[in-house]
Amino acid sequence: MRPQLSRSSAVLATAVISALALSACSSDPEPAATGPTEGGTLTYASGDAEPTCLDPHVGGNYPQALLATQFLESLVSRDADGAIIPWLADSWTVSDDGLTWEFALADGVTFTDGTPLDADAVAANIAHLQDPATQSSTGYLAVEKVTSVEAVDDLTARFTLSEPDSALLESLSQPWLAIESPAGLERGIEENCESPIGTGPFVVESWTKQDRVTLVRNDDYTSAPADAGHDGSAYLDGIEWRFIPDSASRYAALQSGEVDVIDNVQPDVLVQAEGSDSLVELDAPRPGATNRLELNSGTAPFDDVNVREAFIRSVNVDDAVSSLFQGTAERSSSPLASVEPAAYSDESLFSFDPEAAGDLLDEAGWSETDADGFRTKDGERLTLTFPVSTNQSIPAEISLFEQLQANAAEVGFDVQLELLDLASWYEALGANEYDLVSAPYTKVGPDVLRILYHSDGITPAPSGYFANHAQVDDPAIDTLLDEASATVDDAERTSLYEEAQADVLEGFYILPLYDQQNHFLLSTDVHDARALGTVSTPSFADAWLS
Amino acid sequence: MRAFIVLWASATLVFFITRLVPGDPAEAALGGPGSQASEEAVEAVRRQFGFDQPLVVQYGIAMLSLLRLDLGSSYALRQPVATILLDAVPGTLVLAVLALLVAWILAIGLTLAQSQGSRIAARIGDTLEIVASALPHFWLATILIAVFSTALSWFPPVSTGTPTGLVLPVVTLAVPIAGFLAQVMRGSLQEALDAPFATSALARGETRVGLRVRHALRHAALPALGLSAWAFGYLIGGAVVVETIFARPGLGRTLLSAITVRDIPVVTGVVLVSALVYVILTLVTDAVTRLVDPRTAVGGR
Amino acid sequence: MTMTAVDGRSVDPLRPPAPPTGRRRVGPGVVLSVGFAAFLALACFAPGLIAPQDPAAVAPLDAFSPPSFSHWFGTDESGRDVYTRVVHGAGSSLVIGFAATAIGLVTALLLGVLAVFGGRIGDAIVGRAVEVLFAFPALLSALLVILVLGPGPVAATIAVGLSTAPGYARIIRTSLLTVRSSGYVEAARLLGHGPARILVRTILPNALSPLLALATLGVGQAVVWASSLSFLGLGAQPPAPEWGAMLASARVYLTTAWWLTVFPGLMIVATTLSATAIGRALDARGRRAR
Repeated sequence: MRPQLSRSSAVLATAVISALALSACSSDPEPAATGPTEGGTLTYASGDAEPTCLDPHVGGNYPQALLATQFLESLVSRDADGAIIPWLADSWTVSDDGLTWEFALADGVTFTDGTPLDADAVAANIAHLQDPATQSSTGYLAVEKVTSVEAVDDLTARFTLSEPDSALLESLSQPWLAIESPAGLERGIEENCESPIGTGPFVVESWTKQDRVTLVRNDDYTSAPADAGHDGSAYLDGIEWRFIPDSASRYAALQSGEVDVIDNVQPDVLVQAEGSDSLVELDAPRPGATNRLELNSGTAPFDDVNVREAFIRSVNVDDAVSSLFQGTAERSSSPLASVEPAAYSDESLFSFDPEAAGDLLDEAGWSETDADGFRTKDGERLTLTFPVSTNQSIPAEISLFEQLQANAAEVGFDVQLELLDLASWYEALGANEYDLVSAPYTKVGPDVLRILYHSDGITPAPSGYFANHAQVDDPAIDTLLDEASATVDDAERTSLYEEAQADVLEGFYILPLYDQQNHFLLSTDVHDARALGTVSTPSFADAWLS
Repeated sequence: MRAFIVLWASATLVFFITRLVPGDPAEAALGGPGSQASEEAVEAVRRQFGFDQPLVVQYGIAMLSLLRLDLGSSYALRQPVATILLDAVPGTLVLAVLALLVAWILAIGLTLAQSQGSRIAARIGDTLEIVASALPHFWLATILIAVFSTALSWFPPVSTGTPTGLVLPVVTLAVPIAGFLAQVMRGSLQEALDAPFATSALARGETRVGLRVRHALRHAALPALGLSAWAFGYLIGGAVVVETIFARPGLGRTLLSAITVRDIPVVTGVVLVSALVYVILTLVTDAVTRLVDPRTAVGGR
Repeated sequence: MTMTAVDGRSVDPLRPPAPPTGRRRVGPGVVLSVGFAAFLALACFAPGLIAPQDPAAVAPLDAFSPPSFSHWFGTDESGRDVYTRVVHGAGSSLVIGFAATAIGLVTALLLGVLAVFGGRIGDAIVGRAVEVLFAFPALLSALLVILVLGPGPVAATIAVGLSTAPGYARIIRTSLLTVRSSGYVEAARLLGHGPARILVRTILPNALSPLLALATLGVGQAVVWASSLSFLGLGAQPPAPEWGAMLASARVYLTTAWWLTVFPGLMIVATTLSATAIGRALDARGRRAR
């Protein structure tokens, strides 16, 4: 495990220590001795896809979250320990039945268009998320249980829920539920997509498609989250947010000084950069689900738990992860990311044991072997279709899948890897033409389990989308997840989620691979950049250049 | 007129190809299967884009709007396709034109150098050309970045908005096409040098260098000129890769991202622009050919 | 307004250079090329003979070994032997190369025959068709085909093949015209042969020979284009050791493991070079025969 050092505390306004925050580490002998300097423009190079809309309410994917973190803010945030902390809302209360929440908003906050932040603005944002015309996906799902939002007074917003939702605060902390200026929203989807208006440390000045988004400082910024390094406007004059899709070019641009920060750093580059004096690494584990393979239990051959276990026992994930990620990712054996306090893991279920795998296949009736060495049953080959989205899986991950494919072939699985573009990949899932799939899912908190493993997630939306790719259809798991979702008591909720995770793992529905991590590389000129404790997007509100 | 026919046929071809694309176009318009659009929303879009009409009617509507220069709206970007293309075309055009120029300079240089030298020089040149024309753009780009950007720090590895940022992408695109052009030119240069007019020119006291530069090269350039319009198309194809690696905005990247999300109106737009550029270039190379070709230059055929 | 440059009148744009004049011996280049072609043939049809290991067998702990006695070409990121993969990849790579070239040639041949023997209307139709095909550059039409068929080697092959067709078609048309007006056809007709027989036995063989050199160049080209599609994530499917896909995935490790790019790259270049040399030698023989 790479050391995660905390920032020098000289500028820390609160006692909250952010373990995610970056320090210039040991290579910097004089950490922030001179204090932050004002001015300068930071250039950030993103390898994530360029968003088609900058408003994270529309759709709601990770690239949108990365950018939105720079200019939009949420009602609450989450610190490095997973505790919910105040942001645009100073405090909140919940009724005993869990159906009414009241948020007291921070006083004196205005959007960058001059509109004041008030309870009506919050109501307008929730309404915007729930309006079908917004085409919201992530945010829409997160506020499904909210029936209405009303203004008790100017600075108090009351949420009424159809049923208790223990994940409400976690949901609201996400950038996809950020609060935007109601006047901005009223401009309509086209205009709002170009330049959403928020309360954040920076403001969208312009967006040159396929090239960059230019962000300038919000001089009137007052609403830093509780774990921020300082109050008041940012030190940087602005951010040039560039889109550089190719990972090798991105690294070359960082080395040549064209850019100051890059994301989506490949494992071999991270290893190379470790020896460099001019580069620093910032690691931010993502919350929610781990990177995992989902085994489609809805169709043959994975409808048989023995075949699922046989596959899982036949692959050597440990060696693959350590050789391909070279120490930059940790093997996981939990459905949840290790940063989630509720994560439950059981390593014993995922040990590499080809012999046991062979026995399990024999038991399941796949006992014959054909000329190519693959198992057969009733003349049919043991074939597993594995569509892989080249837009979502980095090269090292695709190599990992190839290694698993080769391991599984030893035992007699014919794994068919299919590299697809995003649209074809969605089509394959929608048509139920897959046995294995790897789909990232980022959400704050353990409620992600309900989305991924509740049987409701099997029924596709009219567009064909569904989140329960493993097609887990177990009434016991459903009950646990429903109960957990309605349980506000933390300890009780955690134990329910742990039980549900144990069931998912023991049913061999998924093969956890490694923790999803954001890897950033920064030039040593960049100080006090950090990743938020919500979905690990980088924040430059406290950053400065030397 | 013929230019118009080519454009019309291209548009027709693209229209029918895109109708063959699997999946419901209305769903694609709503963000593809990854979205959670309701049945009503899909219906509304179907009506809005006319997907409920018979194919012939749809085709007619599509062609009519093309005549009005209306390319429709992007599904994914919520912008008129024309706006997107206008943003993307200049970057690619600058890249392709410069690359073509550099390729021409390289090819002429290579050809002349070889025709002067020994057979061994010609052999080496020949091999170089074949190797150059067999270099994948992505590979060449990586090598150039590693050498000229990371090791020597001469040129930036990504576009910077300054002329230095153009150097590596232009060279990447130019080298393989230069290999092609040189191959074609060298063959015809040899033929021209063997032709009777070459002997008579030498007899008139023309030097060997003068013969090559003033006479034979004109002949040699003709077939390669005829290739230029084709080469331009090749460059636009190469731009897909080069723009991705060097992070330059342009048609290639627009096309690639449109393909991955099935943004049919944008795909159609890019293909039509490429066809249009091809047609215009053909007209230009025709004109240039007439200027250079000794047969047509001296008062027609 | 005319487009003389595309109707094949003025020039044969893709015409290969004339072979060095007056040489009748078979040069060392050709001998080497034939040798390499024999090696490739062996690699295609019996790869196990020269590379007995399994090209898909992984050994994560041996990843990124540089070339050595146990791994002549080194190992890749999964510890697979690069030499074994290069040899086993010959088949699928050349299938892409040859199939694409064949698609291009057959399409071109149909167009050419229609142009020359279809009367003025046929010629006009083919002229326009060639222009339209030219207006769809290789990678562009490849992406269109992928849009319809989904990504994969089949789409790549068809697309690359179609995009080479117009160039071939023009050359075929020109040489068909030359052959038609030559003495052979007249002679064959006097011998009482039917038109179909004349076309197949007399005209085509004579018209096709200049194409050979070009088509051999096309094989290498097709492999290169397919590798670009692999780079964009739309090409061959793993674990098939296709050269283009190997080259594309090796790009990530270019600065740390040079052997991953160099060897598949060398194979593509060597294939193109030897195919061109053989093609030219055949072309020269064909010319002498005429």
